[in-house]
Amino acid sequence: MTLLEFASGPGLQWALWIFVLGITWRVVGAVFLLSRKDISKPRHTNTISAGLGAVWSRSAPAPAFEKKIRFQHVTGYAWHFALFISVLFFAPHILFFESVLGFSWPHLPNSIILVTAIIATAVLVALLIRRATHPVQRFISNADDYISIFVVLVPLLTGILAFTHFGARYETLLAVHLLSVEVMLIWFPFGKLMHMIMTMPARFQAGTAFGRRGVKA
Amino acid sequence: MSSLETIPVTTEVATGNVEPLLHEIRHALKRLIEGKEGTVIDLKRLPLAPGEEERIAATLGTGEVRAEVDALGPTLIQETSYPGVWLITHKNVDDVVVARFVEVTYIPELLRSQQADIDAGINRLENELKN
Amino acid sequence: MRKDQNLGEYLRMQGVSRRGFLKFCSATASLMALPPSAVSQVAEALATARRPSVIWMSFQECTGCTESLTRSHAPTVESLIFDAISLDYHHTLQAAAGHGAEAAREAAMEENKGEYILVVDGSIPNGNNGYSTIAGISNHDMLIEAAADCFAIVAVGTCASFGGLPQANPNPTGAVSVSEIIKDKPIINVSGCPPIPVVITGVLAHFLTFGTIPELDALGRPAAFFGQNIHDRCYRRPFYERGQFAETFDDEGARKGWCLYKLGCKGPTTYNACATLKWNQGTSFPIQSGHGCIGCSEPSFWDKGGFYDPISAGQWGSRDALLGAAAAGAALGVGSALAARARKKKAQAAEEV
Repeated sequence: MTLLEFASGPGLQWALWIFVLGITWRVVGAVFLLSRKDISKPRHTNTISAGLGAVWSRSAPAPAFEKKIRFQHVTGYAWHFALFISVLFFAPHILFFESVLGFSWPHLPNSIILVTAIIATAVLVALLIRRATHPVQRFISNADDYISIFVVLVPLLTGILAFTHFGARYETLLAVHLLSVEVMLIWFPFGKLMHMIMTMPARFQAGTAFGRRGVKA
Repeated sequence: MSSLETIPVTTEVATGNVEPLLHEIRHALKRLIEGKEGTVIDLKRLPLAPGEEERIAATLGTGEVRAEVDALGPTLIQETSYPGVWLITHKNVDDVVVARFVEVTYIPELLRSQQADIDAGINRLENELKN
Repeated sequence: MRKDQNLGEYLRMQGVSRRGFLKFCSATASLMALPPSAVSQVAEALATARRPSVIWMSFQECTGCTESLTRSHAPTVESLIFDAISLDYHHTLQAAAGHGAEAAREAAMEENKGEYILVVDGSIPNGNNGYSTIAGISNHDMLIEAAADCFAIVAVGTCASFGGLPQANPNPTGAVSVSEIIKDKPIINVSGCPPIPVVITGVLAHFLTFGTIPELDALGRPAAFFGQNIHDRCYRRPFYERGQFAETFDDEGARKGWCLYKLGCKGPTTYNACATLKWNQGTSFPIQSGHGCIGCSEPSFWDKGGFYDPISAGQWGSRDALLGAAAAGAALGVGSALAARARKKKAQAAEEV
């Protein structure tokens, strides 16, 4: 079996399996760990709008802090935006998603994807360097942070290399790219990458909990 | 089968190789003028979309000299509208193209009479005159 | 052509002038993927080239490779090269049959010991040697015997190069390639199902001209013809870059000649000369005719997912397996949550005491 056959066959199969199992484990576990019903008298009963309100308001820094953390704010959004466009709107990726999910969506031209992928990689590297050199960031960062960054950085890099056919034969580059994605999929449920699934529901939950008590989160 | 013929088929394709090829010819002409040797470009080694080979021939045009060589099938040697740039099309006895070259030179090698052939020819002439 | 004649003398005797010979050399150099500047070197070498003996053995094959090579009825460059070699044994093309043919083969092998080229098409069944035999001799034994004194082996077609169709899942005959049996001779894999005819003759022409085997890639294929993948040479590449794909075989995109990636084209992972040399003397190739590349010059191309499934879809199993994983995950989730709650209750109870 060649490397590419493994990477696009059993490797992918196992990685997807672990990915799905891990995520359902954590999400179902989290749901079942929710606190008991709050039996105090609610100030407001419209918890859905409170929840959505929190999702919206917490998507930007509080006005008092905005200027101070503008760098993280802008680069954070730039990084995520560039990543989503590169992953979700590249035609070969969409074909993969279609084979798993059963539906697809329109794609963007390759030239745009290359630009966004390079932007995403550059921003991520810059943020990684900042994390490793800024005294506060360094203090609060742990292995989970660095591993999560690396397992996303390597697919980006190898994806660009495969796309530009740079460095080795195409099948090797493609196999390495697929393997790096598989590593990411396997790590995903067990580290901080879970924020992709958890962030919005967590904000929503905070919003409803506070909203009940009449506090705007 | 007429329904198949009503399907419009268009190929608005371009490999982008036509312009670079014409530039390569321009550079080759410069080298020729500077006294360096000629250049031969093999058109079969370039990826060309359907129709692009014709576009190249059309762009180069036809010049004053057109020679038909009959050796192992027909070969057409056409000087293009750019003197020094020759388009050579080799065909086999079945009239199928086997090779196509653009030669940038004063005179293509194939037009010159070959020494071995001249030697064989003079022997034949001498024999003819003896009889 | 007499054995002691060289190719130059042979062509002159056929009435081919020096000019004709130069035309032949230009076309041959082009065929061998040599730059035009090498034509004089080719002419010099071919003029004095000796006529090599070629033994062609057909094993588990469909004869498509021989058909591909011999489709021309009139003299072409390919057939001239073919004439230039001494084809001493070939099942489909030879007139002799039976013991006489086998005796002729053995005589040719003995006479040209250490110098003959062995051409093989078809895979060799390793499961049970009785699956494919010739004159009562198994393919395996015949190959070993013929390879022992050859100069080099040319494995023509994907079957001989990598196992091909017989080797496809479940491989009932235990089919293997030539290189899985012969380990001590140089092997040139000319893969393709079938290979492009000029690639086969290009390899023979290289041998005629230089007396050596050409430069090979990691899979033992001549780098001159298998060095680039189809995707990098495909004239439809600009459509791929612009994101213009045919979604079905008869839609607008298909008629406009857009990229066939979504319809399963395996061009990006296939190495062959189809996009430049094309087929039928440069007429067309599958993609130009509207069908995606099936990757026929690559190992195990029959088992690499469907011909109409895009490369990036991969072969990741089934949705049912993933649903099973989700169910397992959900069970783990509920279990671990309940266990956590039980621990919490216990801790609270212990505290209250």
